[in-house]
Amino acid sequence: MQITKLKPLFYTVIVLLALVGSLMYFASIFSGILLILAAAVLYFVYYGLSVGKGASKALALSFLKSLLIPVIGVASALLIGGIIMAVTGYDPVTAYKALFYGGLVKNWSVSVLNAAPLIFTGLSIAFAFKAGLFNIGAEGQYYVGAVVATFLGLHFNMPALLSIPIIFLVAGLLAASYNFIPALLKVKTGAHEVITTMMFAQIARYLSSIFIRGMGGSSDGPHPYVTDPILKSNWLLKMKSIFPHANYRVHIGILIAIGMALFVQYILTRTKFGFEIRAVGQNKDAARGQGIKVGRNIFIALLFAGFLAGFSGVNQVLGLDHKLYENLNAGYGWDGISVALLASNNPIGVIFTSLLWGVLAAGGQYMSRTVQTPNSIVEIIKGIILFLIVAKYIYIHIGHKFKNKKKEEREAVK
Amino acid sequence: MSGIASILNTDLLVATIRLSTPITLAAIGATICERSGIVNIAMEGIMIIGAFFAAVAALYTGNPWIGLLAGVAAGGIFSLIHAVATITFHLDHVVSGAVMNILSFGIVRYLMVMIFGHPGTSDAIPVGLKAYQFAIPGLSKIPVLGPVFFDQTPIVYMSFVLVILTLIFLKKTKTGLHLRAAGEHPLALETIGVSVYKMRYLGVFISGLLSGLAGAYLSIENSISFTEGMANGRGFIALAAMISGGWSAIGSFVAALFFGFADAFQVRMQVFKVLNIPSEIFIIFPYVATVLAVAGLVRKSRPPKADGIDFIIEKEGA
Repeated sequence: MQITKLKPLFYTVIVLLALVGSLMYFASIFSGILLILAAAVLYFVYYGLSVGKGASKALALSFLKSLLIPVIGVASALLIGGIIMAVTGYDPVTAYKALFYGGLVKNWSVSVLNAAPLIFTGLSIAFAFKAGLFNIGAEGQYYVGAVVATFLGLHFNMPALLSIPIIFLVAGLLAASYNFIPALLKVKTGAHEVITTMMFAQIARYLSSIFIRGMGGSSDGPHPYVTDPILKSNWLLKMKSIFPHANYRVHIGILIAIGMALFVQYILTRTKFGFEIRAVGQNKDAARGQGIKVGRNIFIALLFAGFLAGFSGVNQVLGLDHKLYENLNAGYGWDGISVALLASNNPIGVIFTSLLWGVLAAGGQYMSRTVQTPNSIVEIIKGIILFLIVAKYIYIHIGHKFKNKKKEEREAVK
Repeated sequence: MSGIASILNTDLLVATIRLSTPITLAAIGATICERSGIVNIAMEGIMIIGAFFAAVAALYTGNPWIGLLAGVAAGGIFSLIHAVATITFHLDHVVSGAVMNILSFGIVRYLMVMIFGHPGTSDAIPVGLKAYQFAIPGLSKIPVLGPVFFDQTPIVYMSFVLVILTLIFLKKTKTGLHLRAAGEHPLALETIGVSVYKMRYLGVFISGLLSGLAGAYLSIENSISFTEGMANGRGFIALAAMISGGWSAIGSFVAALFFGFADAFQVRMQVFKVLNIPSEIFIIFPYVATVLAVAGLVRKSRPPKADGIDFIIEKEGA
């Protein structure tokens, strides 16, 4: 009874520990992991004390269980990747050593930089999936976010605390409105959002070039056209200004992304809107039967997915590049599909799968530089990991059949 | 206006045909695939695989015809991954297609580094299929139409024939009828004793062969080497052509010609700098047309009824 009174205290300590710990960890101060672990342990302890010992154990078990399939998938993909490397004449052990040393330690900062935009697009796609929609055009909404952020970043002269949230919001809203027509068509005519958002993504890819050239800037001979750098007051805070030893490129975008993941998780699990979205995603007819406005929810879900993907572009412009190149072909839309699928559309899971993707990319570069193994093996491993998601479907399929058989047998006995 | 008139000539039409050929091939392949009930957004990836293997085979044998066969075969084999994933394992079609596109990029990049030692562009093949360009006697003398349709390279001719064959296959043959039934009323087809799975496998495989041929066109006919990213979204334009063409072979062909024309026009506008319009306006034409088509604004464009819908046979005792 008393323990529940201490709830605010516990939560404050847990959140503070997790925040400081992850801040340190993302700034490549690896002892930060201790704080994160402490926060996790504290959470389990608190959960056990307030709900009961069994509950805490069940929570830990269900957490580990949800890790099972992804971990098996990644491990088998690494194994297959290793076999491919061995067959094609590279030493898989040295390659993997370099890959993980590069991705997790040496160039961890690059991994973090890779992960942040992916979390946003991954969240966008995962959220849409929850509503039974496939936002395959996240790439396009990324461009919209990036172009708007650059435009505002160039002209918006205000204190950072004011301008940065406004840029995020405006760019996010415009990226959301980029999904307006696909959403409207989906609801009114039933036009499939895969087709419309994909086409809109291609349109955004080319139209953004026009806007980038229109914003002023220069083209350096063979290099692509690039805008002027945005105002320094609009740059996201660098980790270096908190921890002097941190990599100079790493910025706090990753924390914004994680915050957004928590927010999306909150919406999906704790709000009426989230409940309705999931109901629509699971079964439209049943949802309609319960009096849920299916069309309205689909419409809003697609717009919100655009909003999230737009943040990805803002994050890259304000945090990392500080300018925009023509012919940007970021690929975050496609990779966002991968990380969302791998996380089974769980917003919290998206954080980890994005980090995994970031580690693989950064480690792959390090590997190809140091031990001369083509880093494209990473792309193949990613593909295999994804197809092992198919294995998950097989697993469900077999599990389903198995259950049915048992049920039939039981009925037969009766 | 004289500026525009100066680029409206036979060359523009020849370029239209050349640019639309890979789109036509992939689009009629996609038509067959989607008619069987399997959504295919993997044409881009299959095209890349086809282009790569065509170039490698042509390079090592010195014979572009073997390259052509290799490209077609590679496309067909690679597409079977999509078939197994979607038909046998009931994976969502769009998810599988997206993964195929991602996977193709990795495979090709890895093999590039392994075979040529670097990513980017492969070594040039000794003879490309362009060398086999031939004018059909008599017909090629017809003004305008002659050089456009009857003085072309091998895969371009093949694409014309394949459009007609696809049309006949889908409309006039028994297998074609069964294949279409798999996409419209799979249960009815299964009831008359024809395997829906087999028809769908066939649809995906044919589409893989055609996308592979489209890839071969890019690397060994239109060019003499393989370059990563040479598909450059053509797989998606093919998807656009198929949808704008209303899921029919002729429609896909006409749409592909339109998109090829827009592309050819855009390139010429850029080269000759006749009008000060950003070329991107023309590049996005296929995508806008597709959105209009699915919105039902141009004309009714309807996918097969069971397109993208999983089909599970409940076997006895299962």
